[in-house]
Amino acid sequence: MSGSKLASVEAGEASAAPAPIARKTPFNVLIVGVGGQGVIMVSKVLAALAQWRGFEVKQSEVHGMAKRGGSVFSHVRFGERVWSPTIAKGEADVLIALEWAEGLRWLPYLKPATGIFICDTKRIVPPFACLNRKPGAPMRYSRETAEQVANYVAEGYAIDATTMAEELGNERAANVVLLGALSTALDFPIADWESTVSEFVPKKTIAVNLEAFRLGRTWIAEARSPAPATGTPPLLPLAEVPFTPRLEINAAWCKSCDICVKMCPERCLRLNDDRIAELANPEKCTGCRLCEWLCPDFAIRVHLEAQGKAAEEAAR
Amino acid sequence: MFTDAPNFDVRDYLRLEMMPHFLCPGCGHGIALRALLWALHDLAIDKDKLAIVSGIGCAGRLSAYIDANTFHTTHGRPLAFATGLALARPDLHVVVISGDGDCLAIGGNHLIHACRRNLKLTCLMLNNEIYGMTGGQVSPTTAETRLTTTTPLGNNEPSFDACALASAAGAGFVGREVTRHVPKLKELMKAGLEHPGFAFIEVLTDCTEVYGRKNELGSSPEMIMRQKSDMRPSAYRNTVDTPFHPTSLPTGILMQNDRPEYGAAYRRAAALAAAKGAKK
Ligand SMILES: Cc1ncc(C[n+]2csc(CCOP(=O)(O)OP(=O)(O)O)c2C)c(N)n1
Ligand code: SF4
Ligand code: SF4
Ligand code: SF4
Ligand SMILES: [Mg+2]
Repeated sequence: MSGSKLASVEAGEASAAPAPIARKTPFNVLIVGVGGQGVIMVSKVLAALAQWRGFEVKQSEVHGMAKRGGSVFSHVRFGERVWSPTIAKGEADVLIALEWAEGLRWLPYLKPATGIFICDTKRIVPPFACLNRKPGAPMRYSRETAEQVANYVAEGYAIDATTMAEELGNERAANVVLLGALSTALDFPIADWESTVSEFVPKKTIAVNLEAFRLGRTWIAEARSPAPATGTPPLLPLAEVPFTPRLEINAAWCKSCDICVKMCPERCLRLNDDRIAELANPEKCTGCRLCEWLCPDFAIRVHLEAQGKAAEEAAR
Repeated sequence: MFTDAPNFDVRDYLRLEMMPHFLCPGCGHGIALRALLWALHDLAIDKDKLAIVSGIGCAGRLSAYIDANTFHTTHGRPLAFATGLALARPDLHVVVISGDGDCLAIGGNHLIHACRRNLKLTCLMLNNEIYGMTGGQVSPTTAETRLTTTTPLGNNEPSFDACALASAAGAGFVGREVTRHVPKLKELMKAGLEHPGFAFIEVLTDCTEVYGRKNELGSSPEMIMRQKSDMRPSAYRNTVDTPFHPTSLPTGILMQNDRPEYGAAYRRAAALAAAKGAKK
């Protein structure tokens, strides 16, 4: 964190940095999400603010995945004195997650007795969660409900920050909604939060981001009053399979080379007794066309028939 | 992933009466042919405006299967025929299909001068590291230690990096791809076909029945699966002073520049000569 940048945070107010609040043991905030969601921005705001409040701050992050949709995290620790830049398992006071499964992934880092879990219900399904390559196939994404997770944490909030931000007209402000939620866990003055947020967002989006910040803050306040808020994230609807693959195999051209059989990612082809390629497991075929492309003898043609249309034609 | 593929049926571009083709089971040349026909389809090149010129060999044989204007010439000379054709008929897309023996051994001189002129042509060299058609003699790209009928104790000559050769000789476009990655190969061919100068594309293909069998490289699918590993030292190694990284197999567009294309200069000179002739 650069000192000069911080000085400009409240430049207009010409005020000195407020006296530090005593915090002997460092306060640990773990911010996690998926590349591109704004994890680093959240941690920068927090770190800048904590430094402005007179704390020593250490921040460490992984951001190499930013463009790849990979797992991103940032550790922010602040207090009178901070030695290690990373938070150990079971040591986070607050875990703030911009994506549902990422939040669950990091739960073991939360302090078991007092840790606060604030998690966006936004789901970003990683490619490797696909059970197979068929369009619309079920996902191996976490199926835990917010209610189930609530049993594991001292205090937990499943907040649909992405939709809230969308409703404000800027989906990208979801991370600031979560910052607003985070602000309720810390005793920093609201004015300091808002001036720091304004410093870190693009000039043109200051208004919408401040709105997002307040929304996140009031959401938590409201959720706190009756009982810890829970909202079950909706299960992913299975996309409709748009077509059924059908293989046309020309026995007269097939030379039994075995390439299609061995290269099919789903292993659904075989050579029959005459050593001609045939589709042994049609239900597994995804229509990927690899067999068609790699057959040196042009003996395979994959037809992707729009669902329903095939039936229609048969009826005619 | 499914874009434009559904519209492409390779049979629309084949001479069906010639099928099945004469290549051995698993021969990579068939896959290379599909990629070419797919590229031509994607670019919507009119068959009547397409001229395929090939030499002799299993690779050279491919022209016979393509439903377009095809010209099956003599061993090593397709580039010479193609040069004449491209100069006389700039309205045609001229595509040369050649083998490693055809293009680098007997036809090596034609290749370097075609590169030097940078006439608008697309030259595909299907490199299977062997003279496939004549039963498996050593070729200029056969890797060291490999067995061929003419190197029964293992080849002890260094091999050419054909892409390094072509770029050093002045080709405007140089690329390489393996047959395993058909869509990538197609895209590379499209880029080559669209290049305004001489485009040289090396396709690493498998001669399963002769080279593979002789060197115990496994079944056809096994050969395809090892395409990016140990099979192609000729394309990785510093056999000539290669500008391309020797540690991993470089594929894709390796070099592209906008050197002046030769056809335009030739036609200007021809027009000048015609004008002079008319004065006399
Ligand atoms: C002038 C002449 N010399 C020699 C031959 C014999 N010949 C036919 S094909 C061939 C080599 C083919 O090798 P390559 O170009 O690598 O093609 P492949 O069969 O491997 O695809 C040779 C030497 C010939 N047909 N004409
Ligand atoms: S299209 Fe071919 S390669 Fe792809 S899954 Fe179906 S049979 Fe296998
Ligand atoms: S790849 Fe083609 S020729 Fe080889 S076994 Fe399959 S269908 Fe037959
Ligand atoms: S000899 Fe080799 S290159 Fe020729 S058709 Fe057979 S496998 Fe292909
Ligand atoms: Mg050859």
